[in-house]
Amino acid sequence: MIYALISHICYFTFNMGIILRTSELKKYYLVFVREKANAGNLTNFEVFDFLRSRGATSDPMGCIGSVSPSECKVFGYLSGSPAYMQTRESVNEFLRKADNFKFITSFEKLNIVNSTPTVMPALYATIKDCDKRIAKEEEQIAKENQLEEDQLQELLELVKEIFPQPAEEQEELSQ
Amino acid sequence: MFYLSQVEQNLKMPPHLLKPSLLDGELEKGIRGELEKRFLDKVITNLGLCISVYDIQSFEGGFIFPGDDGCATYKVRCRLVMFQPFVGEVIVGKIESCDEFGLQVSLGFFSDIRIPERFMVQPCHRGEDGIWVWQFKVDNEEFQYSLDIDEEIRFRVASVKYPPTPVEQSENSKPFSPMEITGYINGDGLGLVSWW
Repeated sequence: MIYALISHICYFTFNMGIILRTSELKKYYLVFVREKANAGNLTNFEVFDFLRSRGATSDPMGCIGSVSPSECKVFGYLSGSPAYMQTRESVNEFLRKADNFKFITSFEKLNIVNSTPTVMPALYATIKDCDKRIAKEEEQIAKENQLEEDQLQELLELVKEIFPQPAEEQEELSQ
Repeated sequence: MFYLSQVEQNLKMPPHLLKPSLLDGELEKGIRGELEKRFLDKVITNLGLCISVYDIQSFEGGFIFPGDDGCATYKVRCRLVMFQPFVGEVIVGKIESCDEFGLQVSLGFFSDIRIPERFMVQPCHRGEDGIWVWQFKVDNEEFQYSLDIDEEIRFRVASVKYPPTPVEQSENSKPFSPMEITGYINGDGLGLVSWW
């Protein structure tokens, strides 16, 4: 029994491990702890920029080494989305100017930045219950209803101004 | 579509991974590699699909516990980029296939997105070749718009579900998908991108 104890202590010191009390040992067998489930939403552009800075490219063969194939797939998808054309400054500018429109929530702003609608129906799709919101104003003064639709038009113009579409740029190049 | 999730993980670093990183002084790289092996491309219930390790905020420990075959255990705090669209988000994807229940849409890196028939543009029916067609009536004129395969489609997320892992699976059943997204396209601006 004593021999077993001595050999046990020798094993510990040989490994240079720290001898921990049983209560501390128990702590280290959890799978993982979610400290903060949501530490902040990311726009598609931010993920695209992050993957690009890690070395992802559109070419699937070029990705091996620094970035895994699944990250490459995400990068490939984002390259085909409006995020490809965006810059940090344009996204910040849009979010700053969109603060003037009080009727849209931050989730809707995120929706708009990710999908950059260019036509009115697409903008309707990004804003939740758009019809109902405008209709609500109808019950009040008719002028306020007009204001809402004008605001939607302004928002659309703002999106077109800050996030130019690649098709339009190509047209400009050909002219 | 994406958000950051902060987790604390007790990571076991096997000795063969530790040796090169300790010698180079790049322990962080080794830890990152082990984190990626653990989390990348895996679905965590209620958090989503892990796309990437954003950063490692801190790691401490490095103790070797008895009976652990020499693995040093680090307590790592890191942030992961998770893919989990919120309900109401508008996403553009490609129609991958269609069956009698509806459409299946894919985003390249994620394919378990279904648009069941009840959430599709109304009225629509399934043609002889299996492709869904939208019958659009305006002023007594009827237009037929077909939802072809490989077309880009804009849909809104209706729900994100995490079905529990099945204990037994018969051979013929479709592969288990840990995260299922249901979308709907019955609304303004939704449906094929070419329509609007």
